[in-house]
Amino acid sequence: MEHFTKPSPVNKKFFTPGVLVLVLLALNGLIFLAGRLIFGIGAVTNLNNQYPWGIWIGIDVAAGVALAAGGFTTAALSHVIHKEQFHDILRPALLTAMLGYTFVALGVSIDIGRWYYIWHPLIMWNGNSALFEVGICVMMYLTVLYIEFLPVVTERFIGHVKLKSIFSFLNKPLDSLLRILDKGLSKVMFIFIILGVVLSTLHQSSLGTLMIIAGPKMHPLWQTPVLPLLFLLSAISVGFPMVIFESIIASRSLGLKTEMNLLSELGRMVPPILGIYLAFKIGDMVIRGTFVYLTEFNTASVMFVIEVLFGVIVPLRMFLSEAVLKSKPLLFIASALVIFGVLLNRINNFVVAYKPPYSYGPYFPSIGEISVTVGFISLLVLAYRFIVLNFPVISLPDKSFVPQSKFAIRGTQK
Amino acid sequence: MNKKILTIIILFFSITIYSQNKLPKNHSLTNLTCKTCHTCDVPTKKNPCLVPCPRSEMVTINQSPDQAPEVEVLKELSSRYMPVVFSHKLHAQMSQMSGGCGTCHHYNTVGPIQPCINCHETSRKRADISKPDLEAAYHRQCINCHREWSHSNDCTSCHALKNKNESISIASYVKKMTGKSHPALVEPKKIVYETNYNKGKIVTFFHNEHINLFGAKCIDCHRDENCTKCHDKNKTTNVQQIYSDVPIKIHKSKEEHHKPCFSCHQDDKCSLCHKDKSMAPFNHAISTGWALNRFHENLTCEKCHGSSTKFVKLNNDCNNCHKDFVAGKFDHKVTGLKLSENHKDLDCNECHKEKNFTKTPTCENCHDDKSFPKDKPGTEVNISSKKKK
Amino acid sequence: MEKQNRRSFLKTSALIGAVATGISTKTANAKPKNILSEDRMGVLVDTTVCIGCRNCEWACKVAHNIPTEDRIKYEDRSVFKHMRRPQPNAYTVVNEYPNPKNAVLPTDVKVQCMHCDHPACVSACIVGAISKEENGSVIWDTKKCIGCRYCMVACPFQIPSFDYDKPLNPEIRKCDFCFERTKQGLLPACVKNCPVEALTYGPRNDLIKEARERIKRDPDRYLNHIYGETEAGGTSWLYLANQDFSKLAFPSPGDKPMPGTSESIQHGIFAYFVPPAFLYALLGGIMWITKKRNESK
Repeated sequence: MEHFTKPSPVNKKFFTPGVLVLVLLALNGLIFLAGRLIFGIGAVTNLNNQYPWGIWIGIDVAAGVALAAGGFTTAALSHVIHKEQFHDILRPALLTAMLGYTFVALGVSIDIGRWYYIWHPLIMWNGNSALFEVGICVMMYLTVLYIEFLPVVTERFIGHVKLKSIFSFLNKPLDSLLRILDKGLSKVMFIFIILGVVLSTLHQSSLGTLMIIAGPKMHPLWQTPVLPLLFLLSAISVGFPMVIFESIIASRSLGLKTEMNLLSELGRMVPPILGIYLAFKIGDMVIRGTFVYLTEFNTASVMFVIEVLFGVIVPLRMFLSEAVLKSKPLLFIASALVIFGVLLNRINNFVVAYKPPYSYGPYFPSIGEISVTVGFISLLVLAYRFIVLNFPVISLPDKSFVPQSKFAIRGTQK
Repeated sequence: MNKKILTIIILFFSITIYSQNKLPKNHSLTNLTCKTCHTCDVPTKKNPCLVPCPRSEMVTINQSPDQAPEVEVLKELSSRYMPVVFSHKLHAQMSQMSGGCGTCHHYNTVGPIQPCINCHETSRKRADISKPDLEAAYHRQCINCHREWSHSNDCTSCHALKNKNESISIASYVKKMTGKSHPALVEPKKIVYETNYNKGKIVTFFHNEHINLFGAKCIDCHRDENCTKCHDKNKTTNVQQIYSDVPIKIHKSKEEHHKPCFSCHQDDKCSLCHKDKSMAPFNHAISTGWALNRFHENLTCEKCHGSSTKFVKLNNDCNNCHKDFVAGKFDHKVTGLKLSENHKDLDCNECHKEKNFTKTPTCENCHDDKSFPKDKPGTEVNISSKKKK
Repeated sequence: MEKQNRRSFLKTSALIGAVATGISTKTANAKPKNILSEDRMGVLVDTTVCIGCRNCEWACKVAHNIPTEDRIKYEDRSVFKHMRRPQPNAYTVVNEYPNPKNAVLPTDVKVQCMHCDHPACVSACIVGAISKEENGSVIWDTKKCIGCRYCMVACPFQIPSFDYDKPLNPEIRKCDFCFERTKQGLLPACVKNCPVEALTYGPRNDLIKEARERIKRDPDRYLNHIYGETEAGGTSWLYLANQDFSKLAFPSPGDKPMPGTSESIQHGIFAYFVPPAFLYALLGGIMWITKKRNESK
């Protein structure tokens, strides 16, 4: 019983009670963000000379990058390996990645002291620095993501450029410009798709290299030379769960039918990757003998156990079960657990594991830091909602189904 | 011709041998260059231009404080502060309690006292970093005692700030310091320590005996101490407490506390000092069974028993020390009994059996009907009056 | 025949050798700085000599044009109640610890940048603002700095400090080994102003020799350990003490240079862009093959 779908804007109202809550959270975050810009980082955060990095780096940047991995994993799946059936989820995944990275960039620029110098790494290079590599790759990948998303924009506006009054003379040239762009892009898009995958692998792993230089300042449960590999593997393994998680939420929120067979198939691909990740993580622990630290009872050991048990082992077992793959709520929970595991892993690596030699007390994020982070996430969700309501992102059943018209020239219907 | 050659050869060898003798053996044996010891290229006997500080070993000679200058004005470095007026004599006297001159003058050849500036350069930026510069050398000598004494690092206890008080005159300071001497020390007689040693908690230390009888020097025990043992700006000296009979507790480690004692007592049993109660002063009669008479009681132990670190046990033979105490030469009058003409030239053995002078003398050898306390071989003389003299 | 072969082999290998040395000298010449030069400078801090007068703190502020209170205020010893760390307005601080050998004379320890031989901050800095100079100083170009604070994460001694309260132009600051002063032939301000010369300035190699000499001369006074000789791959500032350095709040970063692992990973991933290019080609190949297969279906 095959049915045909086509990405189209979802016809729904933007504001709902849930959206209002998000708007309030976003506003709250923006207020604290203004505080950071006016009074400095010290006024809003709990950061100090001992703890230079907090959750703005741990969550907004590191976890943000990891959780936006759905973009490159799905791109690789559907474009590189050509599993055509996953085309439907490609655009939502791409949108999540694009928005995710946009907010990563925003998160970085408000965390650095001189946000107006964010462009410095473009011309001032230090090849030894892992952060430089992350920075450059993220900037390039963000550009690539925008280029990859451009067809959605052209598709939306080709034949729909209707500027009012004095600008109306621009309608014609703009329309033809969009058509040229669309045509050209479709020919070179494969370059950017591969580039996106390569860049992602590079910076996902380099994000792990970041903390290696901290050496003994980082708890041995996490500090390992294979950290880059662990970061890459965990990023890949969180890619599909993120797509599943986001599809289920989006379809529920937008009142659409969940494509369960597609999601189950995605879910079936999770256990091998997650298993490899777990094997490396446990293997590394055994080889370096760091399991002795698990016998101690402290924040680090507890967080590590939670991360591995509930973030990797439990969802791994769940994804292996056919019943879970078939059930929407269970699949949702399993995906959420993987996401939770990777989120916690990034927080652990950047915040919990970091033990500076002269701390006056442990670091805990301030209300300001949490507000800004929550605010950014809310803004991201709002932006996502806005875009799927206005751009052809989510695939809907195509009512005017004509097999040939799937690849027909866009913008001619109506 | 042969003769001439022979003379030349002899001359050559004698000169060679002579010159060998002239050079001290050390010079030829060690790997020294001339510059190690001499500053100039051609050292002569008159002007050997010796390097003041080879530093391989500290050399110190001791002089008495009275030989040293009373006041020194240290003015080589005065820039921010006025020169320092240093009461040399007072400090020298205090140093006699511990390290002596070597406390500060850690390197002195047998010649005149070297001023610090001879070795310690005035510039901090220099090639030789093996010793501190002059400023640091001065400060290091003074500051640790002064820190312990005043519990602060304030500069002004030694320096007067320049330009703030222009009127400060160095001469007046010098005048003030001149002629000052450290007051005579009040020495404790006895100190009672309460220790943790179970078999004998109480140790009584007779300070006066160690000094006056046993011949200990201040630095034997007080070498590593400094002025702050007595001087503390914040509290009045606790001499009274130390000198009382109340046992005081010791907070130092066992090794540390025994160190001064062990330099002499290393072979003694613990029970020699550790008792259950406070000890009585040393009494020669009780400890050795030989009461000291009035001639001996004021002597230091060394006088009879040899060196102060290892006392040798003696017998009762006076000739151990008094080689000239033989018949006819010994003036028996000093014992309170002037021998009569008949007895004057008798050998000591005749009355004092086996030269045991503690036992009652006997008359048996010559007289069957006489015994000593009743019958006397001479006339008694008053010795108490002699004693007063 | 064989001989001939060997000779020609020797010839070619010699040729290759010559080319290789030619290249290597070229690269050596291209290197801008010899950061491990034999006569790089350092400071030997003798904590058994330091009296905690805090003159160095005062001198440092004056030398770096940081506003400071009057010198006399530095005699206040109550600041030692809490451990202090370098701040944006205090590149060096002195902390006090109990001295097991003498309760009245506590041990004072001056803290500042150690000026590592292989500085983690230099390796970490995203824009290459921090640099190790030939005279041993680790300095930074504040115009480049974006304030990411990665140097603070990387530093094993937790030295760089950040103006958290400046909204507009916050700076990373730390001891610069008085780079401007030493360039003019002056001593670092703290060394110049130490009344007891607890800080000895000189070539690092000489300082290590001198430190060994001091330990040999007075083994009761010193712990037989020169902190900084090997720590974090060696540092320009060296310390002597009479008790274990961990009791004086010195971290134990190990003997390997801090940037070692991360730089080798980094250079492994980016070996002349070969691995990324290879990955790109591989993915392109897969893409092409699967597309072909799909079309043939």
